[in-house]
Amino acid sequence: MELTDGDLLARILVDGDQHAFGELVRRHQSPVRGLLRQLVRADVELADDLAQETFIRAYKHIRSFRGEAKFSTWLYRIAYNVFREHVRKRRELVGIDEEQLQAEADPQTVDPGLRHDLMNALASLPLHERTAVTLCCQNGLSHDEAAHVLDIPLGTVKTNVLRGREKLKKMLAAWAT
Amino acid sequence: MNDPLDDLLDARLRDETPYIDDAGFTRRVMKQLPRRRVSWSSQRSFIILAATILSVVVAYFASGEGMFVHDAFARISGLQQLQLFLVIVACGIMMTVAGLWVALARRHETIV
Repeated sequence: MELTDGDLLARILVDGDQHAFGELVRRHQSPVRGLLRQLVRADVELADDLAQETFIRAYKHIRSFRGEAKFSTWLYRIAYNVFREHVRKRRELVGIDEEQLQAEADPQTVDPGLRHDLMNALASLPLHERTAVTLCCQNGLSHDEAAHVLDIPLGTVKTNVLRGREKLKKMLAAWAT
Repeated sequence: MNDPLDDLLDARLRDETPYIDDAGFTRRVMKQLPRRRVSWSSQRSFIILAATILSVVVAYFASGEGMFVHDAFARISGLQQLQLFLVIVACGIMMTVAGLWVALARRHETIV
């Protein structure tokens, strides 16, 4: 019988079992890396570096996980914080701000020949809408869980998802006709 | 009725979520984890074992090199068969209860 995330967490907390943590990494690496790839716009190496940092931070702070949310939701929250810290460091290094990062892929500059590609369409969304759509529509989180991950009000999450979906629908409509 | 574009979008979003193969990612993470510290449960076991050995040694020398053991065996050998049987049953019951209590306590810790 396969152990649940709770069983594995108990082993880590009680016995310091690193193999149990390895199993958790194996289970959750794909969605966490997928989310970070969306956030950094498919820069695979950077996304994997941030994902590694996410899991290492999760291990160091495993005792602060209270089980109030799902383990995966807790991991997404750490991943999002790691990403935000990366953006902040990058801003300090090269003097760009988050708005500039968000505007890097303006919808107008996307190659029209690739507009049918949903990944490009997603990448063209502003960061807050892209993150909300990725968490709720791709990773299957509820609006409540996404609000917890992003540490923003529930209404803001709903608005961001709605706006992001509307933009994506417009892009898909153009592609479909 | 659902907007067909909504359905199309949901389907495309799901399709655009492929499983990312581990490809050594977990191994790289595990190599970077901080070195494992001896857990509290291991430390506790070690402390209990050391304290037990120390207590036995102290008791041995403090009791005339274990004469109380010799006396206890002498008393037991003087018991009748029925008394000896009852002593053995009582010891067995006490050990079973203690074992069950420890097992249930550990199970409770795991669930929490």
